Amino acid sequence: MKWSNVKLILVREIRDQLRDRRTLFMIAVLPLVLYPLLGMSFFQVAQFMREHAIRVLVLGAPHSPDLPPLVQEDRFSNNLFADPFAAQLLHLTLRDLPADEGPRQDPLAEARREMREGNFEVVVYFPPNFVSQFERFHSALLHHGTPEGDSQASEAELQVPRIEIFPNLSKEASKAAHRRVAGVLDRWRDEIGQQNLKDTQLPPATAKPFEITTLDVAEEGQHKAAAWSKILPFVLLIWALTGAFYPAIDLCAGEKERGTLETLLSSPAERIEIVWGKLLTIMIFSMATATLNLASLAVTGSFILGQLPLMPEFGPPPGLAILWLLIALVPVSALFSALCLALAAFARSTKEGQYYLMPLVLVTMPLTILPMSPGVELSLGNSLIPVTGVVLLLRAMLEGNYLAALPFIPIVVAVTLCCCWLAIRWATNQFNNESVLFRESERWDVGLWVKHLLRDREATPSFGEAMFCGVLILLIKFFMSFSLDVGNLAVAAAVTQLVVIATPALLMTIMLTRSPAQTLLLRKPPLAAVAAAVLLAVALHPTVNVLQVIVNHVYPLDERLAEQLKGMTAGLDNMWVLFLVLAVMPAICEEVAFRGFILSGFRRMGHKWTAIVLSSIFFGASHALFQQSLIACLLGAVIAFLAIQTGSLLPGVLFHVVHNSLALFVGQLKPYLEDDQHWLHWLMRGASEEGQLYHWPVVIGSLLAAGAILSWFHRLPYARTAEESLQEAIEHQSARWMPS
Amino acid sequence: MIHVRQLTKHYADLKRGKVFALGGVSFDAMPGQIYGLLGPNGAGKTTVLRILSTVLRPSQGTATINGFDVVTQPSLVRHQIGFMSANTAVYDRMTAWEMVEYFGRLYGLADEPLRERMENLFTRLQMNEIRDVLGAKMSTGMKQKVSIARAIVHDPPVLIFDEATSGLDVLVARALLKTVSELRDNGKCIVFSTHIMREAEKLCDRIAIMHRGHILAEGTFGELCQRHDESDLEELFFSLIHEHDRTHEPDGSANPMASRAS
Repeated sequence: MKWSNVKLILVREIRDQLRDRRTLFMIAVLPLVLYPLLGMSFFQVAQFMREHAIRVLVLGAPHSPDLPPLVQEDRFSNNLFADPFAAQLLHLTLRDLPADEGPRQDPLAEARREMREGNFEVVVYFPPNFVSQFERFHSALLHHGTPEGDSQASEAELQVPRIEIFPNLSKEASKAAHRRVAGVLDRWRDEIGQQNLKDTQLPPATAKPFEITTLDVAEEGQHKAAAWSKILPFVLLIWALTGAFYPAIDLCAGEKERGTLETLLSSPAERIEIVWGKLLTIMIFSMATATLNLASLAVTGSFILGQLPLMPEFGPPPGLAILWLLIALVPVSALFSALCLALAAFARSTKEGQYYLMPLVLVTMPLTILPMSPGVELSLGNSLIPVTGVVLLLRAMLEGNYLAALPFIPIVVAVTLCCCWLAIRWATNQFNNESVLFRESERWDVGLWVKHLLRDREATPSFGEAMFCGVLILLIKFFMSFSLDVGNLAVAAAVTQLVVIATPALLMTIMLTRSPAQTLLLRKPPLAAVAAAVLLAVALHPTVNVLQVIVNHVYPLDERLAEQLKGMTAGLDNMWVLFLVLAVMPAICEEVAFRGFILSGFRRMGHKWTAIVLSSIFFGASHALFQQSLIACLLGAVIAFLAIQTGSLLPGVLFHVVHNSLALFVGQLKPYLEDDQHWLHWLMRGASEEGQLYHWPVVIGSLLAAGAILSWFHRLPYARTAEESLQEAIEHQSARWMPS
Repeated sequence: MIHVRQLTKHYADLKRGKVFALGGVSFDAMPGQIYGLLGPNGAGKTTVLRILSTVLRPSQGTATINGFDVVTQPSLVRHQIGFMSANTAVYDRMTAWEMVEYFGRLYGLADEPLRERMENLFTRLQMNEIRDVLGAKMSTGMKQKVSIARAIVHDPPVLIFDEATSGLDVLVARALLKTVSELRDNGKCIVFSTHIMREAEKLCDRIAIMHRGHILAEGTFGELCQRHDESDLEELFFSLIHEHDRTHEPDGSANPMASRAS
C-alpha cells in the first residue's frame, strides 16, 4: 500500500464532498441552526407544560370551622402551595355527596367513569363521615390523657378518617396530577397536625422531633460535569454515525451510480488504498460533523440552560471535557466510518444505501444508550463492549475520575481497534468482491434461490453460507436454552451438541457443498501433527487454568447460577459418561461445525487469520456462559490454526478431547494433593477449588513449550485455498516488480 | 503484448444456474496494432475487457499484458494499461484539468513531467477551453475527451477501448477514432471493442467476431473475407452468427446472452 496514493484519494474525496451542497448542509449548516432552533422550541414547549391546567374532581369536600380551609371557591386554598400561582393550575370541580345516611355510592366506580370519559385527571374522595370522624378524633385527642377525660380513649375514637385519591397511573398527565394533589393534601394534613398540637398544648416539634438537612459534598463544577457527561457522549456518537453515513453512501454507492467507480478501479490504485482513502475521508467528515454539533450544542446549551431556574449549576461544559471528547472521537469515528463504508460498498445505489441506515442505528443505539442507564459504571466487563466501553470511559474522564479510568484505557483502545480492524477488513473485502461491485438487480425468488443453492454448489461452502450456519447455530441455541429444561447435565449437553451444533453443520455440508471431505477437512494428518496437537493441549492447560482464574475473578459467576451448575453436575459420578458427553462429543460436534463447515466457508475470503478470528468468535459465542466464551474464543483460534496448518480436522478434535478431559478430571487429583509428600506437589498447589492449580514456573514453562509447538505448526507447509493463494500472489506482486 | 488464453467467465444465475459470459476466448494483440472485438450486445466483449483491466477476475484461463498476469499481478497490469469504456465516467464535481491530473498522479507521475504531459494532451485533444469546466457541466463529447486524456495521461503501452464511441455524435466519434489511430501509429497496442461494423472495418488491423462468449472468427479484414468468401463485413458477421446459432441451439429459444453450463 502506498500512502501517497491514499493521500491523493483522500484529498480528492474531501474536495469532492466539499463541493456537494448536501454534505455541506449536513456537516456545517444543520448543526449551527439545529440547536438554537431546538432551544427556541424548548422554551415554547416548556411554557405550555407549565401552564397546563389539571382538572380535579373533589367528591364531598369537607366544610368545618374546626379544620383549616382546604378549598376556597373553586380552588385549593392558596396557602397550601409554595408557589401561589400554582393554585390556579388545579381546576376543581366540587361535587357534594348525598346525605351521609343514604346508600354509600361506590367512589371507585364513579371515579372510573369520570376518568374514562376524560373529564378529569384525578378524583379525590372524602367519605361522608370525614368531618364527623375528624371531630370525634379531635375531641378524643383533647381529652386524651387529661384527668377529666377517659385515660384510655377507645380505639374507635382515635381512628382517623381516610381520603381516597383516584388517579390513572398509566397516564402521564394523571400521574402528575396525582403528585400535585397529594402534595396539597399533605400540606393540609400538616396544617391540621400543627393545629392539633397547638390544641393539646404540645410544642410544634412534637411531630417533627428532628430536622434533616441535605448537604451536597459535590465540588463546584461536578454537577456541571455530571450533567454534561451524560449528554455530550450521546450527541457525539449519534453525530459521528450520521456524519459518517451520508458521505459513505455518496463515496461508494454514489460512485457506482455515477459510473466513476470503475474508472477508479481500473486505475493503478490498489483496492486497499481506495478503501483507506475513502475511509479517512468518511472519518474526517464524521469527526467534523460531531465536533460542529458538539460546539453548537455546548454554546446553545450553556445559554439556554443557564437561564433555567431549575438548573442554575449549568454553565458551559468544562474545557478539559471538550479535549477528552475530541480524543475519544477518533476511534469512535474510525469504527463507524469503517462500518458505514462496508455497508455503502455493498449498496447498489444511494437509495439502497439509505435503507441500511436503520439497521445500523438499531445495532449501535443500544450500545450508546446502555451506558446512560443508571448503575452502569466503567468496569472490566463493560469496557469490553464496543462503543459502550468508549462512552463509559469518556464519562469517567468527563467526571474527572482519571485514576479510576486509567486502567481501562488500554482495554477500550484494544477492543475498539479490533472492531475497527474487522470493519476495515470487511470493507476491503467488499471492494475485492466483484459480485458486490457489479451487483445487478435480478428477480429474487425464494424457490429459485434455494434451487440455485442446491444445484450450483461448490466444493466448499461460501462465506455467506458459513456466516448463516454460525448465526443459525447461535439462534437455535438461544431458543433451545428456553425450551430445554432438563435437570440432567449429561442429557442436556448431549442434545445441545448433537441437535444444535452438529446437525445444522452436517446438513448444510451435505446439501450445500460438493465435497464434504474437503469442507470438513476429513483428511489423514501427519502422525507427528497428531502427537503435537495432544502435547499442545497438555502444554496449554496450565495457562488456560490461570486465564480461567483471572476471568472468574474479573467476571464473578452469579452465585445462584453457580449453585445451579453444581446441582447439575452433582448427580454425575460415572467418569465414562462424563468423558463421553463433555469431552468426546463436543470435540467431534463442535469441530465439525466450527473448524469444518464454518472455517472452510470463511477461508473463501482468502485471508487465513480473518477466517481464524471470525470462526473463533462464533465458537466463543456458542458457549452459554460469558466466562466460558472468552476462553473458548482463544482456544477456538488455536484449534482453527491447527486445522488450517495440518489440513485435517483430527488434530483439532484430539486437542479438544484432551483439553476438555484435563479440565474435567484434574479435579480428581485432589485426594492425592492432600498427601504432602506426593510428587504432584511439584506441579500443583493444593489450593482451594477456585484457585490456581499450577505453580507459576510450571505455567511459564508449559507456555513456552506451547509456543514452541505452535511455531512448529506454523512452519508446516499448509494447503491454501484458491482464494488464499490468490491473495498471497496479489500481496507479493509489487515485491517482485518495482515501478520505475 | 496482450496474450489471452482460454479465458472463461461464468456467473451464478438464480434461474439458469451457471451462466457462461465467456466460454474460452483466446487471442493475441501486438504493439502498433488495433485489435477489434466485434460483436452484438451481450457477446462478452465488455467481460473480456473488464478482465484485461483487472476489474473482473476470470473463472478460468489466463491473460497477460506486457508480461504481467491479470489475476496475480493486477496492480502491475493497471500500470500498463489505459482503460476507457462506456462505464468509466468522469467525476461530476471535478474539472477536466483536476480529473486528468488526479489520475496522472495515481499513475505515479511526478509534478513537472505530469504538467508538461497534460499541457501537451490538452492541446492535442483541443481541451484547453474545458480545462476549468466541472464534469457535471460537460457535454458527452467533452466527457469523452476527458476520458481519453485520463486513459493516456501516463502514456501506457496498452490501451483498451470498450464501446468508446457509443452515444457519441458522428463528429465526436470521428475525432475519437482519429485519436485512436494516431495512438496506434505511436506504437501502442490497442484493443477496441465495438458493435459497429464500419468502425471495425476502417480502424482495426485484426478483427475477432464475438458471439455468445466465443470468438467465431479472427484475422485481418482481408483474411476474413478470403476465408469466408465474403467481401462485406456485415454479411460475413450475420452469416457467422446465424451459423453459430443454428449449430449450437437448434430451437433458437435460449437467451441470446448466454449458454447453459453442461
